[in-house]
Amino acid sequence: MRILIRGGAVAAEDGDPVRGDVLIEEGVITAVAEGLKAAKGVRVVEAGGKIVAPAMFDAHVHFREPGQEHKEDLAHGTEAAINGGVTGVVMMPNTSPAIDSAAVVRTLYDKAAEVSRLPVYTSGCITKSRAGKELAGIDGMRKLGVTMLTDDGDSVADPALLMHAMEYATDFGMFFASHCEVPELAGPRALNDGKVSYQLGIVGSPACSEEICMDRDIRLAHAAGAHVHIQHVSSALGMETIRWWKERGVRVTAEVSPHHLIFNEGDIGEYNTHYKMNPPLRTAEDNAALLAGLKEGVFDLIATDHAPHSEFEKGQDFVSAPNGITGLETALVSLFDRFVVTGEFGWDLLVRRYSAEPRRLMGLEPVPVAEGKRADLIVFDPAGETTFTRQFMKSKSVNTPFLDQTLQGRVEMVVRGEEVLLER
Amino acid sequence: MVPKDFLDIASLSREEVELLLEQAVPFKELFTRSVKKVPALKGKSVLMLFYEPSTRTHSSFEVAAKRLSADVIDLDVPHSSTVKGETVKDTVDTLQAMRADYIVVRHKMSGMPMAIARQTKASVINAGDGAHAHPTQALLDAFTLKEVFPDPAGRKVLIAGDILHSRVARSTSTLFGKLGVEVGFLGPGSLVPRLGPEGIVRFTDFDEALQWGPDALYLLRVQMERQDVQYFPSLHEYHRVYGVTQERFERIKGEGIYIMHPGPVNRGVELCHEVMDYERSLINQQVENGIAARMAVLYWLKPGTLLRQGKEGKAGGKGNRR
Repeated sequence: MRILIRGGAVAAEDGDPVRGDVLIEEGVITAVAEGLKAAKGVRVVEAGGKIVAPAMFDAHVHFREPGQEHKEDLAHGTEAAINGGVTGVVMMPNTSPAIDSAAVVRTLYDKAAEVSRLPVYTSGCITKSRAGKELAGIDGMRKLGVTMLTDDGDSVADPALLMHAMEYATDFGMFFASHCEVPELAGPRALNDGKVSYQLGIVGSPACSEEICMDRDIRLAHAAGAHVHIQHVSSALGMETIRWWKERGVRVTAEVSPHHLIFNEGDIGEYNTHYKMNPPLRTAEDNAALLAGLKEGVFDLIATDHAPHSEFEKGQDFVSAPNGITGLETALVSLFDRFVVTGEFGWDLLVRRYSAEPRRLMGLEPVPVAEGKRADLIVFDPAGETTFTRQFMKSKSVNTPFLDQTLQGRVEMVVRGEEVLLER
Repeated sequence: MVPKDFLDIASLSREEVELLLEQAVPFKELFTRSVKKVPALKGKSVLMLFYEPSTRTHSSFEVAAKRLSADVIDLDVPHSSTVKGETVKDTVDTLQAMRADYIVVRHKMSGMPMAIARQTKASVINAGDGAHAHPTQALLDAFTLKEVFPDPAGRKVLIAGDILHSRVARSTSTLFGKLGVEVGFLGPGSLVPRLGPEGIVRFTDFDEALQWGPDALYLLRVQMERQDVQYFPSLHEYHRVYGVTQERFERIKGEGIYIMHPGPVNRGVELCHEVMDYERSLINQQVENGIAARMAVLYWLKPGTLLRQGKEGKAGGKGNRR
């Protein structure tokens, strides 16, 4: 199959999008240049005014399989990814049972090969059942290609156990991802400690709960010679903590989620559980600091923490409702709508932070739209719109603040290798 | 337009507050008559849904509803802190089938009455949710304050105790604020939030707070068992630093400061027992006014009818907005 994407601008990690037609033959990009002629039998996709960009990669998703398939599963989760212009994901291991052994990893990869049109990667637990007591079956998971170890959803409370895990697994070529939280300080883990927690009458979780643990985990990794990746940083001081350590040459990477950039505690209103996640939304000042951190390179990557929950579960009272919102289908469009349209940053940042860097974190090659590379790209219409209706969403769950909202920008096409995964 | 539910103070306008306070007056006058009942809510049913044990608020609502001739159905729900949203939804679905006109809810979880209100056609009245709101308590407090200060604007009320965990502090301070009352919070630094309360003076020193010149001192019930972790060393120390000790009581008496308390009181903790016999203690008045205030709320929300002026005593006066 041959496709010529004609008239678009090609986005890359560096610089602004550059006018260029893209020719894909048998799954490989064979030419990127202006004024390419369509040979006979080549399918032409008109992309005038549109962006042709490397497909995105999300290093933090919850696909809930095995055990919580009423929220999400591999089939729906990967279709949701495609719907949002994402062609690779890293699953978090807080399933039930948890992904803490070779057996569970193998089952998942077999299942994914059967039901998914995308490559699925999974992280593995640091401790068995994420209980923080005994180390998980690390070597078995490594043999199946797992590189990221995390007890995401919780921190490993015992610093000695975490440090031993770091000392042990680093030599296996593995790294650690930290959900940072001191549970004693985090209260019922529902919302930020501040104005809104007072108004809503729920004991809040102060940002220092996250910052203390972040600092601890980086120090442990530093001492153990490990690489730690800090997940979903939510506060200004958290961002500064990462910056401080990076300036000292410590091997730490960090991610920020679209919701922590876009929303804050003021959006919660009267107990709207679509704004409940952990770490919680903080303040407008934190939004601004996180955005600055992203632009200045403190954050290596953007990751959604795609966390599906059923409407029934999210329909409970604010404290009882589970943490998290979906993100795969809304991330790219919402970042475009809120930050690219407003001139805060350009496509280079989106491509670097949501496509190239997350792939590098996982030891994968980035997927630039360049001659000789395998096609793994999207066509994005910056003048188009997306309305996130239930019908639009491919995820099993619709717990997103963007539900039924219309945002600027539309993922029009997703091509991966020889396959056109999505076409609107 | 009268709203369907009565969930918190923040969403009420000043006019609505004044109206409710006015409506409570004739209801209180009713209590001195030989027949303490009016047929205002005849044929209406009030479901009591108390997920947290409560004697005062529960009986106050029950008396209020009965004095309005409503039928009161007490639902036997588990008083467990582990009752979560999912089980509550099942209960509410069941209640929907009973076609109750009112549901009076108390729950340990902040926001639960709002979650229930969204799922039912009945008028939901919040009888206290977590640390969030206790709007009928606020109403009775304002009613009580107005009995001693008919125009309370510019008066100062000092609310003392565990502000952090107190729905009473939140609702009452908000309502007092709407009436132009200046509010101060006093308590241990660990229990008086720094962020959140707006337009409220924060004190952690009792003498400084008295220096501020409050007209009334509103004491909150202090419980150590409510706290998941310790916020202050002991009840004994609390009494010494933040309680109305005999020594402080002398000063309070000297300055003629009124005392309020939502009850039940902890003698020897937030106050010494002498306070109970103080002529300017409004504590018993609060209890009585609670019934009148709750009658006013039930009457205000009365579903389905346009109220005619002059009927059912003065209470009908301004109720015809639904």
